[in-house]
Amino acid sequence: MADLLVVLALTLVVAAATAAVLTRDPARQALVLALLGLALAVLFTALQSPDVALSQLAVGSALTPLMLLLTVRKVRGRGHRGGRKRGRA
Amino acid sequence: MNGWLLAAAVVLALGVAPALWGATTGPLRRRVVAQNVAALLVCLVMLLLAQGYARPSYIDLGLVLAVLGPAGTLVYARLLAAELAADPPTARVTRAMTVLSAAAPPLVVLPLCVATGPGRSLVKLLLIGALLTAGNTISGRAVSGTTSLPREAHDG
Amino acid sequence: MSRKARLWLLAVGGIGVAVLLACAAFDLPGFGGTSHPYGERAVRSALARHTANVISSVNFDQRAFDTLGEESILFAAVLGTVVLLRETRDEHSEPPETVRVDPHVRRYALIALPVTLLIGLYIIAHGQLSPGGGFQGGVIVATALHLLYIAIDYKALERIRPAAAYAIADAAGEAAYVLLGTAGLLAGSVFLANFLPYGTFNTLSSGGTVPLLNAAIGVEVAGATVVLLARFLDQALEIEGGGTGGTGRQDEEANRS
Repeated sequence: MADLLVVLALTLVVAAATAAVLTRDPARQALVLALLGLALAVLFTALQSPDVALSQLAVGSALTPLMLLLTVRKVRGRGHRGGRKRGRA
Repeated sequence: MNGWLLAAAVVLALGVAPALWGATTGPLRRRVVAQNVAALLVCLVMLLLAQGYARPSYIDLGLVLAVLGPAGTLVYARLLAAELAADPPTARVTRAMTVLSAAAPPLVVLPLCVATGPGRSLVKLLLIGALLTAGNTISGRAVSGTTSLPREAHDG
Repeated sequence: MSRKARLWLLAVGGIGVAVLLACAAFDLPGFGGTSHPYGERAVRSALARHTANVISSVNFDQRAFDTLGEESILFAAVLGTVVLLRETRDEHSEPPETVRVDPHVRRYALIALPVTLLIGLYIIAHGQLSPGGGFQGGVIVATALHLLYIAIDYKALERIRPAAAYAIADAAGEAAYVLLGTAGLLAGSVFLANFLPYGTFNTLSSGGTVPLLNAAIGVEVAGATVVLLARFLDQALEIEGGGTGGTGRQDEEANRS
């Protein structure tokens, strides 16, 4: 019974990680990764390692999504090469 | 296992798990809303865990998530604005989200305040509650497309 | 190599890892047992040095040299990013157009920014007392500054972010860590020795060099993260190799799940 939280958090981590692998679109994957980060933070806290959980929250909740989505924007922009000069694509 | 931990487990099973389902399936609008809800619920779970394990210093996790959770949702609202504006969450979902952001934090924070009693932790808890309520209401609003469409995203 | 041979190789490798993992896992002590030889020693020596957060004591005192390595990894990674993501000769940068943001979101960000900044500094300063420290706090500080881009305007961020200044902060943080280590050497013992008085247990000034090293890491991580994001933002918003945005119109890779 005492390990219920650990089991719950582990299940969430496994489910979120599997979903992250199965999601193909990077922008949607960033959303799943954010939830994976939250689940990991709960797991770390349940295992009494709040320092690691705090690192996970600090990096995973806003910084990683921002970097991923900026990269997606740059990479997709490449398909529009010269789009600005030609007006709206 | 005490009542606080049990409450945290219930929030995880009945709140975060469905949110995970919502974030992995369906259209983008649903996924962003699910992320916003999950950040809110996990923040509350952190507060419950801090009380359940009798470790006041764990409250810092909730404090950090109360500001970074909404910031994360605003990242999606900003950079996926074009997609979200083309297919925004329905008015009903937006309203439900606003109600949840306004109702859930007090529901968890007030009992915690009573259990904590006066002191520094109480001030911290109230601050987290206020930040979480304000942040999640605003980020929910940003997702639902009340923000105007960024012009950067227009000219691609 | 043919596809079949590659699959065989993958299968053999996968089975090998699985067998080794199973062997290792069955030899582990039971989950949540009572014997923690390393933990007990780490806690004892953290308490002897008046550091309430044992993890900080391990990271910044007992094994401070490891942290120097980790810090250098971040430093080198950011340096690599700066080199790779620089504006090349055939690219040119154009200032992105201004974006109008919902006034409510804007107002929230204006209030949340200083609060987040303060929380970041609080996490850095209390590294020796409660969960957190230089790394976590530094990332939070950097994220706080980027609320300006996320919720206000890219130009507002650019105004408070001369990237060169943050690059100097990054280097200064790294240097401060090494210098503090050298000070330990000069004070008579070894590199990164905790040479300062330990202070009163569970107060801000406890832990000797731990809070100072935390501050050095905080400055380094905040600077590094800002520089890193500056390069990403430049690439995504300003530098033209067609990088004018337009998300979402090309979702052919529809989602499977």
